[in-house]
Amino acid sequence: MKRSEFAQASTPESLAEHVRRNAPALQQTQHPHGEALESVREATYRGHYIVVRTSYHIEVDGVPVEGHLGVTNDGQVHYHAVPNLSFASAIDLVKQLIDTFPEDFQPGPGGHEHGEET
Amino acid sequence: MAVVRRNILDDSTARQNYIQGVKLLKQEFLGPTTSDLGIAGSPRQVSTYDLIVAWHHLAMFTFTPPTQEDRNAAHRGPVFLPWHRFMLLLLELQLQRVLDDEDFGLPYWDWAADGERSPDQQAKSPVWGEQCMGGQGNPIATGPFAFNPADPNGWRVRVDANVNGRLRATDRGLRRAFAQSVPTLPNKDQVATALDLDTYDTPPWSTASSGFRNQVEGWIPANIAPGLHNRVHVWVGGDMLPSSSPNDPVFYLNHCNEDRIWAAWLQDNDPPYVPDQTAPDELLGHRIDDAMNALLSDAVTPRQMLDVDDFYNYDTLVVS
Repeated sequence: MKRSEFAQASTPESLAEHVRRNAPALQQTQHPHGEALESVREATYRGHYIVVRTSYHIEVDGVPVEGHLGVTNDGQVHYHAVPNLSFASAIDLVKQLIDTFPEDFQPGPGGHEHGEET
Repeated sequence: MAVVRRNILDDSTARQNYIQGVKLLKQEFLGPTTSDLGIAGSPRQVSTYDLIVAWHHLAMFTFTPPTQEDRNAAHRGPVFLPWHRFMLLLLELQLQRVLDDEDFGLPYWDWAADGERSPDQQAKSPVWGEQCMGGQGNPIATGPFAFNPADPNGWRVRVDANVNGRLRATDRGLRRAFAQSVPTLPNKDQVATALDLDTYDTPPWSTASSGFRNQVEGWIPANIAPGLHNRVHVWVGGDMLPSSSPNDPVFYLNHCNEDRIWAAWLQDNDPPYVPDQTAPDELLGHRIDDAMNALLSDAVTPRQMLDVDDFYNYDTLVVS
């Protein structure tokens, strides 16, 4: 690729115009799920087609956690809001969420602060 | 003429220009508001720097294909390396513009060199010094991005992602928490192991793949995961963990080093990228001539990102 082919990307006018043009896609990602977190795993084995659907209902202090969650074929759980990690346990995943998003979790009943084990 | 990307610890001019440049982009407002990004509440102007943060989030939450929730438009699949090269190129052009310096090249952080230090010395690397990226904390209190509540023009996180993966407006200092979930940075042996792989990517084109891309991204080998790229995000912690991780300027130093590792791999391996355009539609967004996810410019393809000699090169491709 040549610099001249990408030169428009460096102008402020172009940048602002592209944001306006592409913003609907970003707005689409802001819509809440409002349903259980379901992961679908698919595989084939000796000519058989396997589908494993896993649903998670996660709550912290009674408040639902509603982001994108998935399970890979090796059983690791991942959650897109913490995209660089996967977990053997969904409980460990939720502990990580509590540490990573302190604004979203007030201290628990009994005064437990983030990072304490219960 | 192509610019040269250099080690941030070896070039004080590149370091100072990078810090100055990202601060200028943080203070530049070209019109888009939080409403344009779908963020609820009173509209606020969004800086050019923060628009790039939003772009990373958009790509991460664009699933490819939308019927599954693993591979997305920038991660967990073949497009990981070319999409981030596209992102870095766009940032580099913006930095050249606000610095009025066509010779500016993004610096990189050779984190594998710091990974050779003992675990207790890794947090004491010069990259975390007062004159470079500053240290850790909530908020960080040292260096050029330290939080000063009395300075509205200081470095502030203005847009981040919440626990449900949606962007929100905020106003706070930058956070880092070193070595909380992994004790060490990646090391040179781990980079060398990735370079030994002679296939860019393999089916199922995901976190289960066995090729170079997946090892650099950090999902394999399982015994060291999170590895390489992922491990750097996790080791730095704080704002480097969510989908809004470009909030930390260290994000770009990390990805510039991964881009350098890819450039080193490209010297010795062919084909440079797979899958080609004969792959099924379920890999839309990851095939060599597919348009990659874009927010701030026209889209480019992975193939266009395979030859960037007209834009930049690296001071060295010795990466391990």
